[in-house]
Amino acid sequence: MAGDRSIRLREVSKTFRTRGETFTALQSVSLDCEAGSFTALIGPSGCGKSTLLRLALGLDTADTGSAEIGGLAPKAAASTGTTGVAFQDSALLPWRSAEANIALPLDVLGKRREDYAARIKELIGLVGLSGFENALPGELSGGMRQRVSIARALVTSPGVLFLDEPFGALDQILRRQMNIELQRIWSESRATTLLVTHGIDEAVFLADRIVVMKSKPGRIATIIDVPFSRPREKSLFQSPEFHALNDVVARALHGE
Amino acid sequence: MASEHARLGWLRNIAVLLVIWEIVGRFHLVASGALPAPSAVLARFWADKSDYLPHVLATLEASFFGFVIGNAIAIAAGIAFVMSPLMLRLFRGVNIALFALPPIAISPVLVLTFSGMAPRVILAALGCYFATMTATVLGLSQADQRSLDVVRAYGGSRFDEMRFVQLRNALPSILGGFRVAAPAAVLGAILAEFGGGGRFGLGTYLLGSLGRADPPRLWGIGLTATLIAGLAYAAFALWGARVTGASRAVTVPTSAPPPAAGPGSQIAVLLLAAAAALLPLLLWWLLLTILQVPEMIAKTPAGIIDYLFIGGGAEQARARLVAALLETLPYTIAGLAAGLVFALALAVLSDLFPAITRSFMPVALVTQTMPLVALTPLLVLLLGRGTALILWVTISVTFFPSFVTIAQGMSMVPRAALDVPRAYGASKRQQLMLITIPASLPYLFAAMRLAAPRALLGVMIAEWLATGTGLGNLLNQSRGYLDYGMIWTVAVVSVLVAVAFYQAVVIIERWTLSRLGMKTTE
Repeated sequence: MAGDRSIRLREVSKTFRTRGETFTALQSVSLDCEAGSFTALIGPSGCGKSTLLRLALGLDTADTGSAEIGGLAPKAAASTGTTGVAFQDSALLPWRSAEANIALPLDVLGKRREDYAARIKELIGLVGLSGFENALPGELSGGMRQRVSIARALVTSPGVLFLDEPFGALDQILRRQMNIELQRIWSESRATTLLVTHGIDEAVFLADRIVVMKSKPGRIATIIDVPFSRPREKSLFQSPEFHALNDVVARALHGE
Repeated sequence: MASEHARLGWLRNIAVLLVIWEIVGRFHLVASGALPAPSAVLARFWADKSDYLPHVLATLEASFFGFVIGNAIAIAAGIAFVMSPLMLRLFRGVNIALFALPPIAISPVLVLTFSGMAPRVILAALGCYFATMTATVLGLSQADQRSLDVVRAYGGSRFDEMRFVQLRNALPSILGGFRVAAPAAVLGAILAEFGGGGRFGLGTYLLGSLGRADPPRLWGIGLTATLIAGLAYAAFALWGARVTGASRAVTVPTSAPPPAAGPGSQIAVLLLAAAAALLPLLLWWLLLTILQVPEMIAKTPAGIIDYLFIGGGAEQARARLVAALLETLPYTIAGLAAGLVFALALAVLSDLFPAITRSFMPVALVTQTMPLVALTPLLVLLLGRGTALILWVTISVTFFPSFVTIAQGMSMVPRAALDVPRAYGASKRQQLMLITIPASLPYLFAAMRLAAPRALLGVMIAEWLATGTGLGNLLNQSRGYLDYGMIWTVAVVSVLVAVAFYQAVVIIERWTLSRLGMKTTE
């Protein structure tokens, strides 16, 4: 967690070729996320928001431009254990217990699980899964699995956190609940976070700023700052300011 | 309650069947006593019990070592193919040849080239290879893409992906492969025993008893072989169910696995295809060179060309080969067609009258584990040595697997697709023609791919053991005459014929399905 925890994308472009057609997923996109900030990426399908996250995470490489995490190439940063990630599909290994799934990043990074026993126990408590340590994913509900996946993202105490539609597969009611919990958990860790989402209210509730993206070609349309103070309470969802900002984001999305 | 009722129904059916069998056997109602009563079979078994032990042990030994070696190679190959798509393409020729080759055809060649138990172990291993290899490839490449992303997101290497996600993910699939491979190993061992070499083994025992006009003994041996194969299947089915039950997959892969590295230029594709076709020949030549088998006994590709086209007596050899092929091929095609037509007809009937599926499917599934071709001597007993026997053997080895595959395809047609015509009042027949049959076409082709090589095997076995015609007989005769050139030629030609059948089905399948915008099934 030491040093710079920023995410820096410089003029990145990425094209995909399918059946002879070239599809520009990202065209010369630059984005800086300062250490400790929470940034939400929102936009229509095909605007390149997930591609941007994958580039920043080192899962894909850009055609041109560069991506850095704390001054390191994403892959190098990843192998030091600086980053954490959660995906839409909880992507748990069905044969590992909740606890063992949370420990997966430690196994990949070659760290001893025993050294992290206390951390794992603490995280299980934090996401409200005490008593389910040894349950297999098949025995957990969708919301519980997603909590395991969030705990897994946090197990290395990452300075930089990537969330790719982490609640996309949940219903609206459960999603709200998880948003509130994520807000609480994040307030404690203050990791630099990049969240990809389809939900306007989720972005407004969680982020410090919202990056609105457009497709064909994938690019940043506008960036909207979110002024609400932290910690944010459940009541925020009902406030007129919250709804007003939702409308601003919606208008930006629809190109006004 | 319902399941208990069904179980009682099952027991009742079996009891009724046994009683009918007993009556039929007692009063010599079938083929003047060729079908003995179960009590007679049991009595004979009891009397022969001391004979059985060495035979059963020999078959078990060959099956066991073949199973271990074959599966070890299959899993290693599967991992290599998933790690390197280039390897998969390069070995395409080898894989198809190993899948399609009729074991009986190469059994004499193995007996010539190797000694002791080796030929049996090799055929048992060959029986396992394809099922486990494809299961491994399928299991490894169907790993959840998101889980792989997680491993990679923490800087995990290709090796880490294998270790943490893919191997464990493939376990249920690999165990499914073992389940199919286990009876196949037993069958391979028995077929190798038919091919000669060694005093003991159920196959040897069965052939040795064929001339003795002792139906109860033949049935006893056949049932013992079936029981061993069935137990091997059941053991892995149980283990598989335990593993799968404990770790049911919970995430639906949201993205298809990344496409294998696309072909480069047209020339690269052609070169690769040529290399894949030549690799089996190269391996064959290499193996003989390494083993240092005398040239007189072991024929290389060049040796076979010499035998058929250049050396003295080439013309005669060609004439005998062509005559045998002309006898074998019509039966193969007729038997294959009949087996498939019966299977399709019964599958359609089962779709119209689900009661048929309920009562017949368990029987069909049981036959999947039976070493059917190895039971040819029993059919000889029932049907005599006429050419009708060839058709019956061939139909019985093609019908059951085809029926299971097609019926499975029909049952997997999504209900939602059937709801639309049903909402407009379509009749059962219309639903079948409009939806069920077109939707299960990929399975029909899968059944054809499965059945085509088996048809050739069935014909050759019947020819070898009973009718004295065609390729099977030519092979058996050449063994007697120590005509090494012909033994190798028949082995190679039958593998080529089997591969040609398989490839023909694949070409028709690709053409048809791509016109219909459908995908092939595994």
